[in-house]
Amino acid sequence: MKVEIYNHLQRTGKLSRRNMLKGMAGVGAMAAVSGAATGTSVRPAWAQDSANLRAEILKVPGVGMGSPTDADWQKVGEMCLGPTREVVQPGEFEGVELTFMGLNNQNLHNFLFRGFLKPWEEYTGAKINWVDLAQADYNPRLQQSIATGTVDFDILEMGAPFEGDTAGRGLLDEMPDWVKDLIDMDDYVDYLKAPVGTWDGKTYRVSIDGDTHTFAYRKDYYESEDFAAAWAKEGDGSPWEPPKTWEQVNAQTKFLAGKTDPLTGLGAYGYLDPLKITWGGFGFYFLGNRASPLAKHPDDPAWLFDPDTMKPRINNPAFVQAIQDVMDLVAADAYPPDQLNADPNTTAFQEFLAGTGGMLNWWGDVGSNARTSDTSVVGDVVGFDINPASDRVYNSKTGEWEDTRNESPNNAFIGWGIYVTKNVSGDEKKRKAAWSAAAHLGGKDLSLWMVAYPSGFQPYRNSHFQYDEWEAAGYDRAYIEDYLGSNLDSYNHPNAAVEPRIPGIFQYYSIAEDELAKAFAGQYGSAQEVADAIAEAWEGITDQIGREQQIALYKGSLGL
Amino acid sequence: MAEEGDRLYVVTADEISDRRRALGKLLIWGSFGLLVAMFAVQWLAQAGTLPIDFASWRPTLYAALFWAVCLNVAQVVLYGERGKRTLFVLPAALFVIFVVVFPLIFALSIAFSDWNLASIDGRKFNGFDNVVQMWNDPFYWNSLKNMVYYTAAILVEYAVAFGLALILASEIRARKFFRVAFLLPLMLSPVAVSWMIGKSMLEGRFGPIARLARTLGWDRPAFFSEPEIARAMIMIMDAWTFIPFMMIMLLAGLQAIPREVQEAARVDGASGWFGFWQVTFPLMLPVSITAILIRIIFKLKLADIIITVTSGGPGGATDSVTSFIYREYRDRSNVGYGTLLAIVYLVLIVLAITLFMKLVDRWMNPRY
Repeated sequence: MKVEIYNHLQRTGKLSRRNMLKGMAGVGAMAAVSGAATGTSVRPAWAQDSANLRAEILKVPGVGMGSPTDADWQKVGEMCLGPTREVVQPGEFEGVELTFMGLNNQNLHNFLFRGFLKPWEEYTGAKINWVDLAQADYNPRLQQSIATGTVDFDILEMGAPFEGDTAGRGLLDEMPDWVKDLIDMDDYVDYLKAPVGTWDGKTYRVSIDGDTHTFAYRKDYYESEDFAAAWAKEGDGSPWEPPKTWEQVNAQTKFLAGKTDPLTGLGAYGYLDPLKITWGGFGFYFLGNRASPLAKHPDDPAWLFDPDTMKPRINNPAFVQAIQDVMDLVAADAYPPDQLNADPNTTAFQEFLAGTGGMLNWWGDVGSNARTSDTSVVGDVVGFDINPASDRVYNSKTGEWEDTRNESPNNAFIGWGIYVTKNVSGDEKKRKAAWSAAAHLGGKDLSLWMVAYPSGFQPYRNSHFQYDEWEAAGYDRAYIEDYLGSNLDSYNHPNAAVEPRIPGIFQYYSIAEDELAKAFAGQYGSAQEVADAIAEAWEGITDQIGREQQIALYKGSLGL
Repeated sequence: MAEEGDRLYVVTADEISDRRRALGKLLIWGSFGLLVAMFAVQWLAQAGTLPIDFASWRPTLYAALFWAVCLNVAQVVLYGERGKRTLFVLPAALFVIFVVVFPLIFALSIAFSDWNLASIDGRKFNGFDNVVQMWNDPFYWNSLKNMVYYTAAILVEYAVAFGLALILASEIRARKFFRVAFLLPLMLSPVAVSWMIGKSMLEGRFGPIARLARTLGWDRPAFFSEPEIARAMIMIMDAWTFIPFMMIMLLAGLQAIPREVQEAARVDGASGWFGFWQVTFPLMLPVSITAILIRIIFKLKLADIIITVTSGGPGGATDSVTSFIYREYRDRSNVGYGTLLAIVYLVLIVLAITLFMKLVDRWMNPRY
């Protein structure tokens, strides 16, 4: 759970000691059935123990009892050592030293891992040395280590998009079967199951996080009689209701420009595209939201490149349509002033949450911040859904549009995981130690604590979506259900757009952002021109990195 | 005469024997041979010719350091007292070569390489391909063009800084307070300036400047959507930060001018403007040129405000060469091309600054 959400819940009294105690009685029962309810294969021998354990760890320090400290992390780490004790003897890794490279964002990530692994170190006898990195330094450090052959870490916290750079180059150690059993991978939400985390059929990733973009909209816009009346006159004849397709999003965005926002009294606006899209590669996800329902055909796992040739699809009619839609809205002056200088962060936190704009796509934390952030004014009027669909979808194989409604949530970034590098492969004792540490961090019970308390990680297992369990622990049911529901629907969607886990994927995104920024500033005559320019740049990157390699890795990442 | 001169400084009369000379030469060439051999072994090992697995290039580094030490020791062995004098300079010269010249040569070798960190094949020499790519890269030329605009703005900054320096040099009330107050922007990090002004005060909906603009009749104020306005805003924020730097240099120059000069001009009947233009300004030229030169060097590094506020937008209108190279190198891991762009920029800067200094020299010291 994000820190700010937790803090706000405490401040606003949505978590209380009374609530917690009232609910705690039900925790055991709810947790006991959670395995059966989710269809997950909790081992029978563990079931009761695990149920009790889940209830017990949620008491540390107790919902509403202040932010957890290192002592709490250690305590939870100690309580969740059961699976480790099953496969590792006390002191078995005496003399083993491991290096763990991860993040230090918001004093979380590695800071938590240290606490969780402290009792593990005491039990096993292993010692862990830590490399803490700021988010901005992470990619350069990883890339330079790989390029210069100085991979000096044994365990790695890494996002799935970098699997191409690491697993694709044979730098990772394959997960042993005993780890798969230990962490219960069947419990992962669908999109985190293979091929994510795997290469050439081999598994490398212990998931600890999940990511997706979801659609947020202002409910009060659709309850406004003024808007409804105006839409009846000026609209396309459809009912005035939250849009379900991008075609509706665009029409409503044009309609709303020039109207008055019912909440703030300032100008009303529709969908907020971050037109300052240059954002280190992460801005491209926002064009991806528009493009995925148009470009991600249900019969085709690929959507950004042709997997046989690595020919970019960015200049096919689907992507061109998505780009053109944004250019049309710019031309129609449908965005807030200075939107050309609004990056995704600005769009979400300074605009949407502050009451500017009616629709937005973002990761899970905007959904939650809407209710919990002190600067948010839309908490009571915000609704959530999965990424809007499109009325048609482009089939890259036939080169034809198909006039069928298509949904495709954009599961942007895929989330963090724990990986073990090849450094340990030659030393079986060290290897077992590294995987044991990774399995401990990705353990099913520990993960519940991580998503329930401030950790920086989002829910990523089906068992995390047992709302009764959250309620019993003292959380506000409506809040949690609202916060998590749209994420779950996106995670498990059969046609979700998952990004290619190939080397240099953020290079492709970054150059596309530069070109798109020019297009949105009116420097290109048409969407096709900018799309062709991006395609040409992408071809250049593919040739530079190595086309044959990219084809092989792209196919590998798609599980083809 | 030379020998007599030497007698003044030589404390010990060194009798350098042939054997000692031979030892000195052996030290130099022996250690150099070791360095070359170590480099060759590592090179061949890396190429796969030799079956040795080196974890790093440290053995060659240690051999180079050993050679440097031997070279210094050999100076004394070979030349005695005179060699000791060399030791005052030689270590520093070697240090400069190690930390400036070698990296520059290494950078040049990277600049002519195809090196994308994501490429499994690693670095490949690609001749002038990067130069051709640069020649055809509209983003690079666009950022160079922007740098011309940004640099030209220094003239306006100079005029403002001179005006402020004149005010602070005159007998005004609370002079000390204003001196400190005017210096404050220079003490702020450009990133802080970016957030405080670029992202807060100039924020289009709730920023105080946007509100003021609306009050004054600008319905939808947008400070970073039009290329010219956006570029001007970057210039203003950068100027606000660095005008105090020029101002303080000019103020120091003004205070160094003797009062008698102005007084004499006044006695001769010079008006205020005439006195400034014919007396103060020419006397201030050397300081002015120095201030402008240093400011140009600062300006050519401009990146932080741009990266934080606009990321080069809208559509590259505010991109500087440094902010573009930052994206190319950091976001796209394109080390070879990014390095070439930086090297070309360095050459352009050196040429431009040299030309500027020549012109100034000719202007200030006309040869008739």
